[in-house]
Amino acid sequence: MVLQIVLLSGLVVFSVLAILSKDILKSAISLAIASLLLGIIFFRMSAPYAGVFEISVVAGLITVLFILTIALTKAEGDVREAKLAKIVFPLFFVIFILIDVFVMKSLIQNIPALPETAERGTFGDVLWKQRTFDLVGQLAVILAGVFSVLALFRKRDKNE
Amino acid sequence: MIFLFIGLPILAAAVLPLIGKISRKFLPDLVSNAVFLFLLVLAVTSGRQMISQGPILKQLNWLGEPVSIQVAVDGFSLFMLMVISLLTLCVGLFSINYMDHYGSKSIYYALLLMMMAGMNGLVLVTDLFSVYLFLEVAAIASYSLVAYGLEHDELEASFKYLMLSVIASAGILLSIAVIFGMTGNLGFAAVAESLRSLDAKFVVGFCAALFIMGFGLKAALVPFHAWLPDAHPSAPAPISAILSGLLIKVSGVYALTRIFFNVFGLTPALSQILMYLGAVSIVVAAFLALGQKDMKRMLAYSSISQVGYVVLGLGIGTPLGIAGGLFHLFNHAVAKGLLFLNSGSVQQSTGTRNLDEMGGLARRMPVTAATNLVGSLSISGVPPLGGFWSKLIIIMALVQADEWFLAVVAVLASVLTLWYYLLIQRKAFFGKLNERWKDVKEAPFWMTASTVILALLVIGIGIFFSTVITSWIQPASDVLAKGVHLLFASWGF
Repeated sequence: MVLQIVLLSGLVVFSVLAILSKDILKSAISLAIASLLLGIIFFRMSAPYAGVFEISVVAGLITVLFILTIALTKAEGDVREAKLAKIVFPLFFVIFILIDVFVMKSLIQNIPALPETAERGTFGDVLWKQRTFDLVGQLAVILAGVFSVLALFRKRDKNE
Repeated sequence: MIFLFIGLPILAAAVLPLIGKISRKFLPDLVSNAVFLFLLVLAVTSGRQMISQGPILKQLNWLGEPVSIQVAVDGFSLFMLMVISLLTLCVGLFSINYMDHYGSKSIYYALLLMMMAGMNGLVLVTDLFSVYLFLEVAAIASYSLVAYGLEHDELEASFKYLMLSVIASAGILLSIAVIFGMTGNLGFAAVAESLRSLDAKFVVGFCAALFIMGFGLKAALVPFHAWLPDAHPSAPAPISAILSGLLIKVSGVYALTRIFFNVFGLTPALSQILMYLGAVSIVVAAFLALGQKDMKRMLAYSSISQVGYVVLGLGIGTPLGIAGGLFHLFNHAVAKGLLFLNSGSVQQSTGTRNLDEMGGLARRMPVTAATNLVGSLSISGVPPLGGFWSKLIIIMALVQADEWFLAVVAVLASVLTLWYYLLIQRKAFFGKLNERWKDVKEAPFWMTASTVILALLVIGIGIFFSTVITSWIQPASDVLAKGVHLLFASWGF
């Protein structure tokens, strides 16, 4: 229980750091630590596949991509940030914590315990036999992402 | 066959960048418009035949073995497929000329096809998580299409859209997670079944609130509309037409209606919430539209207002109200698509979107001016055009349901709509020709062709409204009116 609370607080703290940090490198690393903690929480809640994916893809692969991009791009001076963000984010954070404390507890007590359906069967079974459609969707998401990158980083040729 | 609606656009999108290497313009134009045309023909001909015996559930077989890819087609989803294919085809034709100066046409079409695949998928799937997945496919493609011009304003609008849309997605995903936790299921039918046997009003209310917020943001209902007036005008005109004509309806209105009518069941309280959300959107957005000087921004506010009519009609929950809402969805998709395409023609010819700088363009661009008038009058509800009949049905349904106050609001707001559309028409097209525009030419062939097709459709729908209603709207609204029980009984599980 204590460990769980430590992990969850760590998750919140590093997520907030990822948003508030001025240095994008520190942001990326905070995000990686946050998702590492989330992966551990998944493991402890007996969802090993979700944990493996969280750690390998989000904490591993995506962080590497972020750091690569940061290393390859030049910083073009300071990014001017709106002052509003500094007020709005903590405000929303406090509201979120309040909702979490007062509403979520009673909400979660109202949810009947889930019968042991999560992650039954082998990994291959779940992926190929039960949730095949998600693969099509994921393929489409990846394709859309790739095309977005191609579109947003294309060279504008005025004569075309 | 039905799987082609998802598979074909994805496949075409995947090969388009390669085709773009061979031919920069001609082949991408040809391939993508052929796909759009094929899907429209498929929806209109074989789709109708398929569901003539009632809703069907299709299972994909791969090498003789069934895989868990299931899609369901009923009157409602087929109607949406038809609207999506129709408008995408017209937008595709318009893009042949319009997107020439943006460059990288193959990537543009690839993104458009991905957006179509996302919308088609969303319309066909049978479980909540897939709804979320395809919602994201369409959304990701739309973020980059909004920013396609790569200017400062466009990137800013796209970023704002991205941020607000992510909040919507997070709310929807949280709600889906809670429902999964509660019922242990994700399929529409299974969730509806479990929710009926569970006594968890508080949690269901919480999920419903999250869905209203999430899909309300996607549909840009007031007070969740802040992103739309930036995002829609910034996008290239054909994309504005798709966003306003289709995307807000598919990822907002369709998903909301499907979940509330066929999974949760429309309770009287929910019906009241939807009706008032719709009414507030109609009035607030109409007043905001009046004050705009930017032509596309005015059209964007008008979209919020008209989606309000759709939600108001659907929210009544009576068969007549649902039919009116769906019919207005169709009319608005066609007419708003037309108007946004026309704004693109005007912007390309004159280089401005500011209404005060235009004037007398009807002399130089007669086709654009005429089609624009048709679209404007239809949305404002002037007989005998399509928009008149759908608004009439919505108002009749309101009166039938004893909602006199909302009926009066709907009528008065319609007058406001006419006012700001005539404002566009007067400032941009009528009056004395501004000297600056004396060398302006009519838009190129494909651009005018697609607007003429849409204008003829607007007139056709108005004249043959009863045929349209019996052949397309009625099967769709039947599915919703019968609600969950009959529908899933006929699916046989």
